[in-house]
Amino acid sequence: MNGAPPGQSRRGFLSWFLGTSIGAMCASILYPVARYISPPDVPEAQTSRVVAGRAGDLKANEGRIFRFGNQPGLLIRTEDGGYRALSATCTHLNCTVQYRSDLKQIWCACHNGMYDLSGKNVSGPPPRPLEQYTVNVADGDIVVSKA
Amino acid sequence: MSARRSVVTLFATGILLSMGGLRPAGALLAAEPPRPAQGPRPLETSCVTCHAQLDGELLEPTRHTGDDIHFLKGLSCHDCHGGNPAAGGDGDPTAAHDPAKGWMKPTRAQIPGFCAKCHADAAFMKRFDPRARVDQLSEYRTSVHGKKNAAGDERAAVCVDCHGVHGIRAISDPRSKVYPTNVADTCAHCHADASLMGRYFIPTDQFAEYKRSVHHHALDEEGDTSAPTCNDCHGSHGAVPPGVENVASVCGSCHGREATLFRETEAKKKLDLSACIQCTVCHGNHAVLEPTDAMLGVGPQSTCTGCHSEGEPGYKAAAQMAEDVRRLTGKLAEANGLLDRADRAGVEVNPDRFALQKARDQLVEAKVLAHSFDLERFNVAANEGIASADAGIAAGRRAFAELRYRRFGLSLALVLIAAVIVALAFKVRQIERPAAE
Amino acid sequence: MSAPPGAAGAGGAAGAAARLLAWLEERLGISVLLELGREKRVPRHRHTLWYYLGGMTLFLFGLQVGTGILLLLYYRPSAGEAFESVQFLMTKVPFGWLVRSLHSWSANLLIFVLVLHMFSVFFLRAYRRPRELTWLTGIFLLFLMMAFGFSGYLLPWNTLAFFATQVGTEVAGALPVVGHFALRMLRGGEQVTGGTLTRFYGFHVAVLPALTTVLLLVHLVLVQKHGMSVPPGVEERQRRGAEPPRTMPFVPNFLLRDLIGWCAALGVLAALAAFLPWELGSKADPFAPAPAGIRPEWYFCWMFQTLKILPGHILGVEGEILGILGIGVAGLLWLLVPFLDRAVAPARRRHPAFAIVVWAAIAYMLVMTLWVYLPAGG
Repeated sequence: MNGAPPGQSRRGFLSWFLGTSIGAMCASILYPVARYISPPDVPEAQTSRVVAGRAGDLKANEGRIFRFGNQPGLLIRTEDGGYRALSATCTHLNCTVQYRSDLKQIWCACHNGMYDLSGKNVSGPPPRPLEQYTVNVADGDIVVSKA
Repeated sequence: MSARRSVVTLFATGILLSMGGLRPAGALLAAEPPRPAQGPRPLETSCVTCHAQLDGELLEPTRHTGDDIHFLKGLSCHDCHGGNPAAGGDGDPTAAHDPAKGWMKPTRAQIPGFCAKCHADAAFMKRFDPRARVDQLSEYRTSVHGKKNAAGDERAAVCVDCHGVHGIRAISDPRSKVYPTNVADTCAHCHADASLMGRYFIPTDQFAEYKRSVHHHALDEEGDTSAPTCNDCHGSHGAVPPGVENVASVCGSCHGREATLFRETEAKKKLDLSACIQCTVCHGNHAVLEPTDAMLGVGPQSTCTGCHSEGEPGYKAAAQMAEDVRRLTGKLAEANGLLDRADRAGVEVNPDRFALQKARDQLVEAKVLAHSFDLERFNVAANEGIASADAGIAAGRRAFAELRYRRFGLSLALVLIAAVIVALAFKVRQIERPAAE
Repeated sequence: MSAPPGAAGAGGAAGAAARLLAWLEERLGISVLLELGREKRVPRHRHTLWYYLGGMTLFLFGLQVGTGILLLLYYRPSAGEAFESVQFLMTKVPFGWLVRSLHSWSANLLIFVLVLHMFSVFFLRAYRRPRELTWLTGIFLLFLMMAFGFSGYLLPWNTLAFFATQVGTEVAGALPVVGHFALRMLRGGEQVTGGTLTRFYGFHVAVLPALTTVLLLVHLVLVQKHGMSVPPGVEERQRRGAEPPRTMPFVPNFLLRDLIGWCAALGVLAALAAFLPWELGSKADPFAPAPAGIRPEWYFCWMFQTLKILPGHILGVEGEILGILGIGVAGLLWLLVPFLDRAVAPARRRHPAFAIVVWAAIAYMLVMTLWVYLPAGG
């Protein structure tokens, strides 16, 4: 292309530059759109249900804290192998409660509040029961949902 | 009477008795009281019939036949006052007010024994409520009221001053004078009256103080009947102010954790704190207010400096604890602030908020552990809390880093857009230049 | 001219394109449109810059439709889920925060550019015969865009939006005769509830887009039919011979210039999304008291402030009703500008009162808008 006039190569360069930059801009628009449209890791907001664990995680008469949104929940496996799930935020001053396998009740370490397995406040300062959740086991996942 | 007639009578009585027993347990609210085993029905005694036609003080007892628990349980005037309920229908009280049949109007000195006639009789009370306590009189005799009453003081409180005279409601009835939400008013009736209490040199500010307290707030405004009122700390019948050495046990009957910590420290450090420090020294006795962070430490509102002076180990420990609580509270606030701002800007922070809950738990735990007065135990919780709060702050800063990353990405996009604009401008210029070029 | 490299390949591609066009032509008859496109020319004069505003508005509307459709994929229109779904979208969906910020900012930019477009048309008198219907459809499109803004604002179901909607629909309720009916129709009941949210969603994604499509098509067809209007001053000079009439081809000159503007708008929006992301706030609580300083979106502020400063009663009539009626009458007059212009000044010159009144109105609206944003007590 030695004989091509300077205007020609400038024109060619400009067309190339225009095409490439528009292409790049379109790519920078299409990439986010494509990522946006493809389903995220969790398909929907986890406000009403969450997977709290796998079926074999807990032994009988054992409890564990899990995350429900940004609040703690308590998952308990009772002696007969069934599951219970409740809110783990104590109704007294919002400490996180725990399961006491020796007492088979739920205990709040802060001021010695006690709840039974259905969440009812049975002794100590808590004024209200713990909110109960529904537990289902599906495909080996323990799914906790708000009633 | 022939044998057959006796059998029939017995049979009939049995049927009548069992019909009375078939009445539902909620007889408290039933229109008709149970039928007494013998004698006229409670509302058909000559007492009620006659007194209903009188007026003033003599009419008053008959106004309560619908709400007094004794009437509702099938008892009537003569079951307490004695006398003949079948006589006196003609208007002449002599036959009804028959001393031979036990008729009496008790004096104030006699009232405790008068009520205890039934209420201290276990076999009798079991018929009405198998769980009823029958030790009220013996408790009363240990109380200041009981002792003064036995000594002949007419002004000391007796049963009827708290429970009422004729319109005595069940203690589970919210309208009863001794239902938890009403107890303080009932006690204050005398104990807030300076003219009454003056001769005993008993202060009268307890009710006013109690009304300022968190206990009163919980009971009165939040309806939490587990909150204490006068009788929960002082006793119901054996009313006596808790002795100085017993305060921790009294408060500890609800605030178990704090009381346990207190006792554990006594044992561990071989101290006897009972005389110099009990809950009320720092928290007050009637005006128990919401505890503030300023109560801990060595500042102007501190409760520690009342006993500990500068240079003492206790003083240093208090200062240290207050400083740690202040640091932890500050870090918690900072972490929350960062996470809130990041959340509003659209960065995912829920897992971090959840992790921060641990720091909040540790803060409460640390404040509870302050009651052990043991710096070592306190530090365990405080340091864990500070570590969690630091993690929360780090998470907040990471969220902002994510924001900056987004801005960087968008800046790149802006560069691309600028390139396109420049290219377009040149293209337009090129098109519009004369074709000779 | 030496042939550019790859001529054989280019020739093959050009041949394929020609065959495709011929296929489409036989079935759709698109050559008419292509011819129109090739022939369309745009006048060039010192006011040509204002011509770009219409296309810019169209571009921003297209952007709204695009980002709106994307948002539709994740949004849920119920009181219990709306806020959470927007929160989910902003935090869990890749680039969800970007789509949402773009949609919110572009809405504001759209109305701003639309208003500029409207006033430029007014001052350049582009509504003169035969373009009266273009003006009418345009003003109705303005109302539709404001309705879009009002209905869309509620959809995240946050505190500010909830109370702003409450205030706004309350004003509708103050209309004489039809007020209560209008309030109930808007709110889907007596109060602002989840029912209002679902109703507004229906307006925002179905009713308003349908109406807009029809009006926009009419508006665009009319613009194509009548071509771009030349301002009277320029027309005058051209007639006198003082200025030669110049034009540029629509394709590619005007379009490329349009594209520059559109890219610039995109850049502005990207910068806004990056440095001033649209906040979500906190979830609406119908039982909480209204926070201080509730106000609607800025394009409603001048009306809002006007109603606020009117005294309770004027000559025995409620101040608010007079305010609403006044604004209504002003809107009606504005709608009828093309006919008023002809009626007042049948000669080519427009009566100067027009410009004065409108400039005064613009100044009033600016002052009223700014007033709302002053700190409380100002």
